[in-house]
Amino acid sequence: MEFLSFSNPAGLVALPILGCFILFFIPGHRANLVRWISTIFAFAVLIISFYFFLSFDHSEGGRQFIYEYEWLSLIGPWGESQRAISMSVGIDGIAVTMVLLTGIVMFTGTVVSWNINVNNKDFFILYFLLLSGVFGVFIAYDLFFFFFFYELSVLPMYLLIGKWGSSSKFSSFERTKEYSAMKLTLVLVAGSVLIWVAIIAMFVQSGTGSFHIDEIQKVIPDKFSSEFQSAFFLMLMIGFGILAGLWPFHTWSPDGHVAAPTAVSMVHAGVLMKLGAFGIIRVGMTLLPEGAQIWMPLLIGLGAVNVIYGALSAMGQTDLKYVIGYSSVSHMGYVLMGLGTLSLVGLNGAVLQMFSHGVMTALFFAVVGMIYERTHTRDSLVLSGLAQKMGIIAIFFTLAGLTSLGLPGLSGFAAELLIFIGIFQSYEIWGIILGSLAVIGAAITAVYILRLLSKVFFGLPDDTLPEYLDSTRREKFAASILVIFIVLVGLWPFPFVKVIESGVEPILLQIVGAG
Amino acid sequence: MILSAAYAWILPGLAVLAFCITSLFGKNLPYKGIFLPIAAALLGFIFFCLIFVDFISTGFNPSSVSIDWIVIDNLSITWGFSIDEISILMLGLVTFISLLVQIYSVGYMSGDPRISWYFAVHALFAGAMLALVLADNLLFLYFCWELVGLGSYLLIGFWFEKKAASEAAKKAFITTRLGDVGLLIGIILLFKATGTFHIPSIIHAAQEGAIAESTLMWSSLLLFLGAMGKSAQFPFHVWLPDAMEGPTPVSALIHAATMVVAGVYLIARMLPLLQMVPGFLTLVAIVGLFTFLFAGIIALVMTDIKKILAYSTISHLGLMILTLGSGGLAAAMFHLLVHGFSKALLFLGAGSVMHGMNGESDCWKMGGLRRNMSVTGITFLVGCLSLAGIVPLSGFFSKDEMLLSIYEGLGPIFLFITLVGVFLSSLYMIRLFCVIFIGEHRSEGAKSSHESPRVMTYPLVILAIFGTVLGILALPLPFGDFEGLGNFIDSKHHFHLSPWVTPLSLLIALAGLVIGYMCYGYPKISHHLVALRFGYLYKLTVSKFYIDELYQWIIDKIVLSAARFVSIFDRVVVNDTGVDGMGMSVLLSAFKVRLIQTGKLYNYGAAMGIGIFFMAVMWILVSN
Repeated sequence: MEFLSFSNPAGLVALPILGCFILFFIPGHRANLVRWISTIFAFAVLIISFYFFLSFDHSEGGRQFIYEYEWLSLIGPWGESQRAISMSVGIDGIAVTMVLLTGIVMFTGTVVSWNINVNNKDFFILYFLLLSGVFGVFIAYDLFFFFFFYELSVLPMYLLIGKWGSSSKFSSFERTKEYSAMKLTLVLVAGSVLIWVAIIAMFVQSGTGSFHIDEIQKVIPDKFSSEFQSAFFLMLMIGFGILAGLWPFHTWSPDGHVAAPTAVSMVHAGVLMKLGAFGIIRVGMTLLPEGAQIWMPLLIGLGAVNVIYGALSAMGQTDLKYVIGYSSVSHMGYVLMGLGTLSLVGLNGAVLQMFSHGVMTALFFAVVGMIYERTHTRDSLVLSGLAQKMGIIAIFFTLAGLTSLGLPGLSGFAAELLIFIGIFQSYEIWGIILGSLAVIGAAITAVYILRLLSKVFFGLPDDTLPEYLDSTRREKFAASILVIFIVLVGLWPFPFVKVIESGVEPILLQIVGAG
Repeated sequence: MILSAAYAWILPGLAVLAFCITSLFGKNLPYKGIFLPIAAALLGFIFFCLIFVDFISTGFNPSSVSIDWIVIDNLSITWGFSIDEISILMLGLVTFISLLVQIYSVGYMSGDPRISWYFAVHALFAGAMLALVLADNLLFLYFCWELVGLGSYLLIGFWFEKKAASEAAKKAFITTRLGDVGLLIGIILLFKATGTFHIPSIIHAAQEGAIAESTLMWSSLLLFLGAMGKSAQFPFHVWLPDAMEGPTPVSALIHAATMVVAGVYLIARMLPLLQMVPGFLTLVAIVGLFTFLFAGIIALVMTDIKKILAYSTISHLGLMILTLGSGGLAAAMFHLLVHGFSKALLFLGAGSVMHGMNGESDCWKMGGLRRNMSVTGITFLVGCLSLAGIVPLSGFFSKDEMLLSIYEGLGPIFLFITLVGVFLSSLYMIRLFCVIFIGEHRSEGAKSSHESPRVMTYPLVILAIFGTVLGILALPLPFGDFEGLGNFIDSKHHFHLSPWVTPLSLLIALAGLVIGYMCYGYPKISHHLVALRFGYLYKLTVSKFYIDELYQWIIDKIVLSAARFVSIFDRVVVNDTGVDGMGMSVLLSAFKVRLIQTGKLYNYGAAMGIGIFFMAVMWILVSN
């Protein structure tokens, strides 16, 4: 029973699915039992993702924990192929970081979701389904399953937002949760269409009769002309870029974040947006290296637009969740810029930023969820002086905010610094200009974060609002886990950087070799 | 070599450890855990003394050590510590003042519900500041640079229920952050050019000519921008007066003696690099000189005791920058030390006054306090006279060295303008003293004011003694090879007096004192009449030249408008038109296309006929 081994990454997909099955047979009215079982499963997943991170050997590098099962063989002009569609899994330095991130966000999201009272069984089933899809994307080395999991991680979002989400109403316009859920799903599916077309094109063009990334990779120099790479890399870049919040395809994301329930926002901004960036690396840069070289200047430019535009938009918002939603757009811009540098330092920073932003934004949304639960408003114009009555929550929010503005000692700084250096070292004078814009973006972030802190948390509390209670132990526990990682990465990023480097290096070598 | 740089990390390490324990568990510890940061500060000071003795006994040997923080490819970022003459001087200043300020705070902050948080952040600040002066590479320096900014932010906003405090904290962070953008870009540009963050290596590379001239110019400019933000130089000075909303001991430590001099320190460190850029030091000098005068003028008309001291700090920081611009490294660092002691003394004295006045900070509501609080009064006078530059107090020596350096480096014109500032400096200092301590009680509060407890007055006495004797450090020892502090810092520097600059400056300072005393202490000249005579100028000065209003206008009208525009653009144009519009166009075309399905047979027949006709035509065209 080799596949039941603890070190089989497929366990990351199977365990949440198993959780879904078990939850399925629990009576819906036993809400506490549902909570406990979900928490136990999420904890098990967290432990496993930790195990992978700790036992990943970065000095060896490459792909580790490889398992492979035939699923379907196809007959075509290439004869009867092996590995036509196979469940091939493995973890490299990039994936292992993302797996750890997903484990953390999944567990903390489960813990903060204890307050869900309406159909919480259905909620957790969908939530786990979504996350098993996310894990699947990170570990799949077969394009068919990659895409399968990719879709699996998008679609449950529709139900999760539509049912457990919240609508918001502003003086001049409103955003219903149905609208947000619909927009999110349709826009992301549009991106998926582009990705699927590109995948099929690569499958056909390679002529290997296999969806396996390794098989396709072998024939890149022979079969993929520059024109082909250029055309389909752009398609992939936009398709994945949509999920990564690439400007101007980002508008689904703030609305989606705002409408979603807390845990879903955490997963959504924390992990799901990273799938897009991950896809660009795993599929785009790995299989279309020349295409990557052609289009990366565009990506870095759009990334810079993301950073500045997102930060300015965030400053113009009054709803706490919208501020954070747009700040995600801005921070994902750094990731895209890091990818666009096509340098070891920049790429490393991009992946580290994916991790850092994932943890940070999860903390943000968790804290905003706590505030909303107590005050029933997220309007920064109404809230004031919360620090006096919710000291611990204020500290958590401040920590997340300081990470967001890139304070040294917290994770954001280490990641953004690597990206800045990467940008400055690439593209001659443009690198300097874009790099300066990126640094300025961090300063704009400081402005809106500090304004928010000053307005919402400091000053005297508004007496008309109900008596607040500070965070419960459960909430403190969840937030503390996130804080520990923020501080850990901020003070000692070296272990993370070494792991990520082992994953980024081979991909980069291939791209440099292609050009 | 018992305590070389290899152990220097212990200094900030202890403070950071104290921060962690006190902030997490402070509430459960006896005395709310405030003894931990104090113990850390005390150990830090003892440690400094050991390092100092060791440093001297090994014959001034700079040493360094580093640990890898991030290494990728050819990028290596380290946490490096080095000890040389400048860092020794800064270490002494930081450890000593922070120890005294923390002891003082025990009295000043007693009874505050968040006292353990206060002391914890103090420790964090001290740790970051110590690491900053020990850092041997620019990136680690930037790391600590931001963290001291955090300490400042948290302590300015310590009483966050006060609107003004939270606004001031925000303003301080954002203003300095603007400069930091420049600093970080400058650091990365230098890295791009040289492949290292290590300060001596960068300077070496620059002297070898390995850095392109334009890069050198830009990065110097950007580094200077960072220094201007941190050291509150015009036009970044606006945050410092507002920062006075924090507890007064915080102002003494962070906003007078240590953090604000970080910019001066940075320029001192990078001086060899800046010197490589032609004409750059003159720019530095002009910024410094302008700030020196500008802030001095405003200090003359402020009425809040702490604001006067804040503007005086800005002014003296400008003087230090001006001196650095003249190439006077030793003189500027000497004044940094002297100013740190004197200004900490004045702020702590101001704190003692406010403590005795139940928090009142308007000095026109005081008066005659020397009868109620004599220790505070005498020590305050020592601080004032020292900063006014009166012999034999330490400020006289440092000012003299600076003026000489300015004269020798920049020429007589700069010297004469600087002397105007010296006059202002002694004028506002004596004004401050007279209004608070001399004359009649001007309010009930002044009548019933009382001296502060000993835990607060003893630090004042200690600082006053140091403020008096520190000056002799400038003089060469008659024995041994110590040739004065200036020579210790910069071996090219030698102590000397000028036959006319020294008496002239002393004369001008004394004139300031006498005129000030005649205005405010022993009223012969009515300052009200002077204010009336120059009514328009007076109003302009009291309004701080409307710089704050200008910034507020820029933020409200430009930055926030831009933000609002972008967010509305995003919603209305990108989303509602672009995204929803695409959805709507699909929907609309579906409605249109729907009409084709009429359900009438002859419509379908006609469509079929047309189709067959076109296919036939194409068939014929293709087959020919």
